[in-house]
Amino acid sequence: MIDQDIINKTNKVFEESFEIEKERLVPTAHIFTDLGLDSLDIVDLVVALQNTFGVKIRNEERVRDIRTLEDIYKFIAEMKKEEAGKTS
Amino acid sequence: MSLKRVVITGIGVVSPLGKGLPALMKGIEEGRSTVQRMEGWEAYHGLQSLVAAPAELRDEKLIPRQKRRSMGRMSIFAAQAADEAVADAGINLAQEDRWRVGSIIGSTMGSARSINETFEIMMPQKDLSKLSSTMFFQCMSHTASVNVAQYLGLNGTIMAPAAACASALHSIGAGYDLIRLGRQEVLLCGGAEELHPTVTASFDILYATSTKYNDRPHLTPRPFDKDRDGLVCGEGSGIVVLEEYERAVKRNARIYAEIVGYSTTGNGLHMSQSNKESMVTCMQQALRDAAAAPGSIDYINAHATATVQGDQEEAEAIREVFGSTVPVSSLKGYIGHTLGASGAIELAASLAMMDRGIVYPTLNLENVGPECRGIGHVMKPESRELRTILKNGFAFGGINAALVCRKI
Repeated sequence: MIDQDIINKTNKVFEESFEIEKERLVPTAHIFTDLGLDSLDIVDLVVALQNTFGVKIRNEERVRDIRTLEDIYKFIAEMKKEEAGKTS
Repeated sequence: MSLKRVVITGIGVVSPLGKGLPALMKGIEEGRSTVQRMEGWEAYHGLQSLVAAPAELRDEKLIPRQKRRSMGRMSIFAAQAADEAVADAGINLAQEDRWRVGSIIGSTMGSARSINETFEIMMPQKDLSKLSSTMFFQCMSHTASVNVAQYLGLNGTIMAPAAACASALHSIGAGYDLIRLGRQEVLLCGGAEELHPTVTASFDILYATSTKYNDRPHLTPRPFDKDRDGLVCGEGSGIVVLEEYERAVKRNARIYAEIVGYSTTGNGLHMSQSNKESMVTCMQQALRDAAAAPGSIDYINAHATATVQGDQEEAEAIREVFGSTVPVSSLKGYIGHTLGASGAIELAASLAMMDRGIVYPTLNLENVGPECRGIGHVMKPESRELRTILKNGFAFGGINAALVCRKI
């Protein structure tokens, strides 16, 4: 079960940075084919997610496997869990 | 090889007087100054000039996000001016030979706001990780030209002369040559620039800005006036559509004017001081290129930014080449000095004057400075037929440019 806060904040990034309407932000939405992001947008997505969630993902290989919004939610949840593990 | 003829078939402008050529001409006709005291500029220690002529950024969301994301303020102005120019020319870009249509749009530098923002984000911690992917595209020197080219899908020659305040005339001059040589058929040429306190500061530290009118902003700049005390920065973009004459005639295009002469010279003497001799040569060479006698020029749109020395050198140069009979005016009093865009915005207004058969005066010129006398200052609107006009543009680095346009 993904934390609703992660979903809300991630969707807010898509609304504000990529000007995508709320209704289109469903978990299964493919970020390239459905939401229209391209390679430059991915760079900005990484920056926005880093700023929003306080995680370091720029050099994270798993970013390359992200396809859908749900993939992002899960990835962020994993990253936060890992970061929490490091600090505890 | 015979050279092709080059005509102007479209005009687009974003200026402090508004979006579009009609807004620019309405403001000039009304004698309206757009200069205002800038809120927050006092925060810059040492900045003496607190006035500027801002343009309004609006409707930018009409540009699709993925085209807009690489645009700083100046590129948005340029894209909007380009849209207007293309529509005005009645050209359907989708039907053109895409390799024969390009853009040549110059500026002093990239987006000043974006450059400042980049360093503000990066420098405190020397941290690059918060920079967006498109910030560099907003900052680079050819940002306006490439953004217009990407926005409109142009595949021909894409260039960006960076010649400070002569950038737009350099762009138009380069486009004129490329079409004359048959290398391109249609070129969107002009300039773009944006306002920022650091831009005004670059002139301010050289004592080139107006500093005595911070509480009476509408009274400055005062080109050629005895009480002029320096330039006032403005912003915006001017784009003209240059087109090969035969094809323009073939498609029954409206032709504003033919470009018949162009010249650019350097003074080779001083980085910031204007120089009469090199201005004289520049104007004479442009006239020679146009096969035009000085007496055949019906109007000179001066560069005249209202600096003490620059206006004097230009007035003396005009006096030497043209004497006192040719009407001369500067438009800086209405819209400030739009720097890299000025050559194109002011050419656009001059072509509109040609179209209307009216010459508008130099706003804020009340008493001609003694050193600026002996040329045909326009003090109030004058109706007259303008067949051939000359546009001057000068820049830091000792650059001069002059363009001659003739009605056909």
